[in-house]
Amino acid sequence: MTAPTAAVRESSLARDLIALTKPRIISLLLLTTLAPMYVAGTPSWSVILWTGIGGYLMAGGANAVNMYLDRDIDHVMARTKLRPIPSGRLAARTVLAFGIAIATAATWILGHFVNVLTAALALGGFYFYVFVYTRWLKRTTPQNIVLGGAAGAFPPLVGWAAVTGRVDLASLYLFLIIFYWTPPHFWALALLKQRDYGEAGVPMAPNIWGERETIDQMLWYTVLLIGLTVLPVTFGVFGLTYLISALVLGGILLRGVWRIRALDAQGESWIPVAWRVYKYSLLYLALLFVAMAVDRHV
Amino acid sequence: MAPALPALFWLAIVLVVASQVMILRSTVRAMRAAESAQARRGIEWAYAIVPAVALVVALAATWQESTAHRTRLDLEARANQTVAP
Repeated sequence: MTAPTAAVRESSLARDLIALTKPRIISLLLLTTLAPMYVAGTPSWSVILWTGIGGYLMAGGANAVNMYLDRDIDHVMARTKLRPIPSGRLAARTVLAFGIAIATAATWILGHFVNVLTAALALGGFYFYVFVYTRWLKRTTPQNIVLGGAAGAFPPLVGWAAVTGRVDLASLYLFLIIFYWTPPHFWALALLKQRDYGEAGVPMAPNIWGERETIDQMLWYTVLLIGLTVLPVTFGVFGLTYLISALVLGGILLRGVWRIRALDAQGESWIPVAWRVYKYSLLYLALLFVAMAVDRHV
Repeated sequence: MAPALPALFWLAIVLVVASQVMILRSTVRAMRAAESAQARRGIEWAYAIVPAVALVVALAATWQESTAHRTRLDLEARANQTVAP
């Protein structure tokens, strides 16, 4: 009886430790790290492997530390109350130690097997997410995810630096694309989870500014995003394959946000459309980055 | 695609700048409606203006890079014409 129980406990611990890293979110972060590597050049398998491992551990470490810092509000929100700390499966200190340990390992891996700039950028993303977003902005301003969006925009810089050893205008555009993609993506979710955020005391834009103003800003951020995705074509980073993909993908996103706005203006429910926009925005970013990599190799 | 690049550049710039202006306008409107304290408004305004300033810097660098790219394409086209019999 003892052996199977211990095995179950170990597998449950492993599951919880993996859950702390938020693997589903990291899959998109990894895509936005790896695709730019193919835009920047032709990376070797070892650079891809070490950047992927280091990127996963760094983002996972940031997510674990974030769960430690948000342990006082995670039990309030339906979407976070099953996390390992609020559900009592892991001690808060264990989570903090785990997060710091894997982020430290990531820094060493990236610095040793890739290059120092890559390690510094990844660590910069970690600090920005933990200290600037989680500790400072998240609970103090409705613009939390606007500036905080920079944390999620570090991965393309990491991938680019891993291949070229530098950061240039093209890589900054990849950063800006994710930065300006974050508000329409996150506010679609915030519109749907207003009660959760309100109960937890997180001042998300729909709770503070109201739905109409948030939806208006989602619209303008989407238009800005489409303009930004086009600009790298004008200085030769991407060609026609990418341009068509960016316009089609952006057009679909804009149509969704416009639909939310139209329904809101008519006083009708936009909830199913907001869900679709939220889910599509994830697909949008993934396909846009795939289009970037494909464009450079066709 | 080279002849279309200047038009594409200016069209994108207009979209980006106009949207950024609308975002700032909307943020000011939202701050007033939220009736936040004066000091809080100053911080919120700073949060809104920082990305806008960074965007202007990026657009200026893009203008330089786009101009240089078009010049390179022109030179290549002329060189090809010279080489061609």
